[in-house]
Amino acid sequence: MKNRKTPQQRPAIGLSALTGAALAAALFLPAQASADDLNVVATTSSPGALAREIGGDETSVRVLAAPDRDAHYLDARPSFMAALRNADLLLELGAGLEEGWLPAATRGASNPDINEGQPGHFYAAGKVDLRRSITQDGPNMGHVHEEGNPHFNVDPLRMAEVGLALGERLAELDSANADVYRERAEETAQRLREHADDLAGELAPDQNIVVYHEDLDYLEEWLPATVVGYLEPAPGIPPTGRHLQSLIGELESMDGHVLYAEFQPPRGAEFLERELGWDSHAVPLDPPQNAGLDGYLELMETWASTFRTR
Amino acid sequence: MLSARHHRNALTGLTVLACATPALAAAQAPDDSGSDWGLDISLILEGIYYNEMSEGIDTPAGFDDGHSHDHGHGHDHDHSFDDGFNLGHNELVFEADLGGLLDGTLMIGFDDSDIEAEEAYLTTRSLPAGLQLKAGKFLSDIGYINSRHVHDWDFVDRPLVNEYLFGDHGLQEIGVQGTWVAPTETYTRLGVELLQGDQDGGIAAFDDGPVSEKSGPRIATAFARVGPDFGPDHAARFGVSGGYVTQTGVTEIHGDHGHALEGDAWFAGLDAVYKYDSGRAYGHGDWNVKGEYFYVRRDLDQFDGHEHGHGHHTHMHWESADSLTEKQDGLYVEGIYGFAPRWQAGLRTEALGLTNDAVEGSHHHGDEYFTIESMDTSYRHSAQVTFRPVEPVFLRAQLTQNDFVDDHGDRDRGLEFMFQVNVALGAHGAHRF
Repeated sequence: MKNRKTPQQRPAIGLSALTGAALAAALFLPAQASADDLNVVATTSSPGALAREIGGDETSVRVLAAPDRDAHYLDARPSFMAALRNADLLLELGAGLEEGWLPAATRGASNPDINEGQPGHFYAAGKVDLRRSITQDGPNMGHVHEEGNPHFNVDPLRMAEVGLALGERLAELDSANADVYRERAEETAQRLREHADDLAGELAPDQNIVVYHEDLDYLEEWLPATVVGYLEPAPGIPPTGRHLQSLIGELESMDGHVLYAEFQPPRGAEFLERELGWDSHAVPLDPPQNAGLDGYLELMETWASTFRTR
Repeated sequence: MLSARHHRNALTGLTVLACATPALAAAQAPDDSGSDWGLDISLILEGIYYNEMSEGIDTPAGFDDGHSHDHGHGHDHDHSFDDGFNLGHNELVFEADLGGLLDGTLMIGFDDSDIEAEEAYLTTRSLPAGLQLKAGKFLSDIGYINSRHVHDWDFVDRPLVNEYLFGDHGLQEIGVQGTWVAPTETYTRLGVELLQGDQDGGIAAFDDGPVSEKSGPRIATAFARVGPDFGPDHAARFGVSGGYVTQTGVTEIHGDHGHALEGDAWFAGLDAVYKYDSGRAYGHGDWNVKGEYFYVRRDLDQFDGHEHGHGHHTHMHWESADSLTEKQDGLYVEGIYGFAPRWQAGLRTEALGLTNDAVEGSHHHGDEYFTIESMDTSYRHSAQVTFRPVEPVFLRAQLTQNDFVDDHGDRDRGLEFMFQVNVALGAHGAHRF
């Protein structure tokens, strides 16, 4: 029994439907059953990949953000609103990652099933412990992640926990297939953890990394990596010559790697590569838009491979 | 219930502000999931330096405040700038949600001398089937720019077509709105509004005279917009909107005689926005194009009045005269380009009165006081450069050339320079498309 509304079953549009009487009645309309696939909309492709694996053929998954874009700075596009209008389940990474566009997109979607607190709204950041965000400690530059660092999509161990919680949520929304979802979630979590272990085990211990933004900090959680600096002087501010010089001063005697996202400008990383002799790598933060679990596992391999470069 | 809730919002907000003014950031509610009360507060502060480098014509032909009826704007707080420093348009915004049932928004606008509840409304979040209701005082969703606040504009000043057709704040009214989002692949949203129709100024401006004022709501609007999915690089939205105004008019009393117009009006418009996302950081390489057109038509009955009686017992006796039809329109097109990380440049071109059959009131035309005169088009061209040092702050320099024509057909050019500083503090909400 699926507990959700079909978009097709709607009252006729018209002034009459917009009166106070309709408001009062509609507030208490019961949800209607349907036999269609669960319609899942994920903000980014990392939770999207989990949903594809765990949801399988019983769900259809749509990812909003293209993986080569900064998920902080998207527009609340009409096409996002159309997707959210028809969603049975919204998968949000949360902790402020999507705050610049998702609230406007959900407001424009007029779909009560995906409101906060509803079973149709899955808030991934609420399922894991978050690292502290450097925005919580630094000066307030208008980009504060109060709940912590939202970029846990690069941590397969936390994504495993998210997957387990997602399995439970799918089971709740589509109880007929509950066991299938739980089973796939267990399998997914296990594959993520094992792959993380395997990759970390192959690498030399105690490696230093400089990252552009705090979006790769969670690599520390599963790889033998320590973040020793950021190319940005403060989150959201592009690298300055002065900041890069001071980084070089601090890191002169050390060895390591510079990692940044594909959409971030490469100049700061190239400067460190020249000055310090470190290798630098532009890496994706999320798997391809239509990826399943295999796409995410491959991406883990891509991240790990940057630590093998010497 | 409406007002009680907003008072509560305002009180809570003011209390919070009073307690935490030195560190506003600390007063902001943690984001969505973290707060039971869910109250978000933001403060938008703006300063503008204005310099009129050469003086042109103040008011475009056919849109004169002086003796024409509809464009009065009720200049209770004038939006033209003084030469030199100006405190711009500041806002204190409270937003809260009620358990996924309703969102409440209160937006207080203020400058150095005036304070006004610009918007105070509830929006449903719980209606099924893509339906949503909004009630209170709000900016109408007609067109593109009308529902947006200064902080979201790409130029310092409001487009002429919005200011002169709908008023200094655009179409901002008390009323209800119902919208429906269709369950389609292509975003489709339809909406209707019933609005009170402020008779002190704007599109429903009216003076009591030979005809007494009709009861509200006096404006009905409808709008439709679609937003096809063009993939990650491109996005667009197209809209059509229109409205009907049940009563508009003007009454002029000249000592022992008077002249009046009374009638109804309708308007219609098109709007479009296209945005390109380059995929590079800090908006570098992004660009967008926006445009809007509106047309308004007023069908007006004319009345001539003569005073009867003596002393304190006089009254105006009104007689019908010829009817008039006023037709006016305007448009703007603007383009914005991110020429470097965090830097944007933009151009805007505007025309007002491409169709400009406007009411003129004068004793020189012969028999009738009010006549329709066909007037020329006024133009305005603006260029801006914007820098965003951090996300909630922008600095903008704008150069604007007015190419206005006056009621006598004389054309003159004026040049203005504006420098704007706009800062959003606190829980700065998501940006709309």
